[in-house]
Amino acid sequence: MVSAHSPEHSTTTAKIVVAGGFGAGKTTLVSAISEIPPINTEAWMTTAGTLDDPLEPDSDKSTTTVAMDFGRRTLADDLVLYLFGTPGQQRFWPMWDDLCRGASGALVLVDTRHLDRSFAAVNYFENDSTVPFVVGVNMFHGEQTHRLDAVRQALSLHESVPLCAFDARDRAQVAGALVGVVEHSMARTARPAPPRPMAPALR
Amino acid sequence: MATPRTHPKVRPYVLTGGRTVTRHRLLVHTLVTVPYYDPGLAAAMLPEARTLYEQARDGCSVAELSALSGLSLGVTRVIVSDLAAAQRVRVHAETYGSPFDRRLLERVRDGLRALA
Amino acid sequence: MPHILIVGAGQSGLQLGLNLLAAGMDVTIMSARTPEEIRGGSPTSTQCMFQPALQIERDLGLNFWEEQCPKLTAQRYNLGLPPDGYPDARQTTGEAAPPWLRTEVTPFTRAIRFTGPWEHYTQSVDQRIKMSSWLAEFENRGGTVIYQGVMTSDLDSLTALGRYDLTIVAAGKGELVGLFDRDASRSPYDRPQRALSCIYTRGMTFDPEYQDWAVSFANIAGVGEFFNMPGLTVDGDGMQPCNILLFAGFPEGPLGFHAWRERLSPTEHLDRIVRAMREYVPWEADLAGDIEITDPRPSLIGGYTPTVRHPIGHLPSGGLVLGMGDVVVANDPITGQGANNAAHSAHIYARHIIDNADGRYDEAWMQATFDDYWNYAKHPTVFTNAMLGQEPPEHVGRILAAAQAGHEAGKPVIAARIAYGYTTPSDLGWMLDPDEANKYLAEVAPEFATPAPANP
Repeated sequence: MVSAHSPEHSTTTAKIVVAGGFGAGKTTLVSAISEIPPINTEAWMTTAGTLDDPLEPDSDKSTTTVAMDFGRRTLADDLVLYLFGTPGQQRFWPMWDDLCRGASGALVLVDTRHLDRSFAAVNYFENDSTVPFVVGVNMFHGEQTHRLDAVRQALSLHESVPLCAFDARDRAQVAGALVGVVEHSMARTARPAPPRPMAPALR
Repeated sequence: MATPRTHPKVRPYVLTGGRTVTRHRLLVHTLVTVPYYDPGLAAAMLPEARTLYEQARDGCSVAELSALSGLSLGVTRVIVSDLAAAQRVRVHAETYGSPFDRRLLERVRDGLRALA
Repeated sequence: MPHILIVGAGQSGLQLGLNLLAAGMDVTIMSARTPEEIRGGSPTSTQCMFQPALQIERDLGLNFWEEQCPKLTAQRYNLGLPPDGYPDARQTTGEAAPPWLRTEVTPFTRAIRFTGPWEHYTQSVDQRIKMSSWLAEFENRGGTVIYQGVMTSDLDSLTALGRYDLTIVAAGKGELVGLFDRDASRSPYDRPQRALSCIYTRGMTFDPEYQDWAVSFANIAGVGEFFNMPGLTVDGDGMQPCNILLFAGFPEGPLGFHAWRERLSPTEHLDRIVRAMREYVPWEADLAGDIEITDPRPSLIGGYTPTVRHPIGHLPSGGLVLGMGDVVVANDPITGQGANNAAHSAHIYARHIIDNADGRYDEAWMQATFDDYWNYAKHPTVFTNAMLGQEPPEHVGRILAAAQAGHEAGKPVIAARIAYGYTTPSDLGWMLDPDEANKYLAEVAPEFATPAPANP
């Protein structure tokens, strides 16, 4: 647990959201970097009812169980990073808003064999969220089946959205991808420098 | 004597875009701690509240509280909100005003670099 | 003191929450979005509110924008016909092409026009402004807000917790409506009847003939309806007057769902709306020379299946929840009743909840509360569903012609009664029933009181 026995000792928590279609590797990524076994909420909400068949998203009168993963990584004595995987199905959009609220950045994972499964996540971050995002191609078995520019084209990804490739099983590579997410958020949200007393000269 | 009718002011919220409430929002990664653990109080609590109260002694996020207690996120938030209103738990404010605060992002980046 | 949980922070949920809070109850609202997210998001509605609903807000002290918001004093009706006359709807098969996919575009002509004045004005405050402020207001007045996109699994555990004496579901757009069974006897449609394409604009000029704020709408033969509703919307951190433009297209017509499938940028969307205005409502396009979008997210595109649902939801653990607002009665937006229905439902539910503060909110009480609301809601529901037909019935054609004749004679009696009917749908019996219509016309416009003899 986070060390906080002294209430005045203030620990800072930060959050990065990991999105992507079913099977894109969200749980794998969270496991690779989390210091606790990733918590999957399906396991703890089953008392509420039966899990819906994901193939029947509009079945009426259902008691749905939300599936999301999360993990935690202590980055300093007083700094903890949480990683939250979004539930795959689009009808859980209220949950997406909930998870993204207060996030410092997002990583949308894509599996090049099933690019279409990540369309909803890309759409969400492009249109319905203010959280800056990076798209990461998960190299299953260390291999990349598509060139990055082909992936960018297939996803109709704007040039301002960074695209990277890494192996979601590898802790160092995942950390590197997350560094990219944070750097992108820094670039996207950088405030203009305070006005200088004199206009800068043309270079 | 007639009571003067008060007309509610237009909320400054819409004009400033800022938050007017100082109560902290219970985000999934918001830290919850118990400032002073009271075993007598714990014993008198309803089971769900007691579970959360005990769990929060170690200090953890709302999502962890929910998962470790086996309670849904909605129930966890309701109870934590009640406990916070009674000052039995402390809901920690975000240390930085925004998740995009440069100092926060730099610290997260540096921490991740050490793992890469 | 009862503890009430309201899931959903729209017109009905927040109005009810603020009402109950004022009555001294302990109220918790669960909102899927924060005030900042609501305000910075896309519009959720066109939210025209008529006098009775506005008065409910006034009585609760929630009319924060009454002075800033344009006051709409009349309802203008127009009928647009293609240049070669009324189309035979049966001639069209398949999906008709929208104006931007055709080289030939012939403007429609205005066959009928009249104006019905309102005794009391109508207003439309963008729900992004209203709900973000009401939510903050609710919290400031001591209500508890929990930001949580509630799923059925949450509701089950929340009702099982025993923390609340009553749980109301007022979130009509998520999966929670699935808890409430469709009432087939009150729901004549099983799919959306109009493709809705709405955009918030500024820069429209007044109709030169009137120079004032009014709702203007048009029936467009073979196409659908068009609405121009002045309102108050967001402007960065502030507010500005706007014109909310809405096309409601017949599903197979040129502005059906197929016309709006593409993802459009806001300016592309506006461009298409204006092109459609030039063809179908050119008299409105004439006012739109300097039109532009009001904000970065000015669009709302979609469709609703008009549905009435049974009001009580049963959860797996035995909990009961009561539906409110568009969870239980969802009408198509073409008659502008949605926000009004929401206000009336919250008003009626609040009265029942307060009256029963010492009793139990059991299943019988829930059903009685909804039944009381249905006594109101059946009128707008029947009216709206009748208006979803694609060709007006014969007697309605005569009512429209009579209204125009009265308008031209400077005696807009029929036009005013139609306009009043939108604000008070229980008065609309005379328009919906041919015999009632003939009786009324015999009083006020006898020359229109009997059908013209059919052509041999």
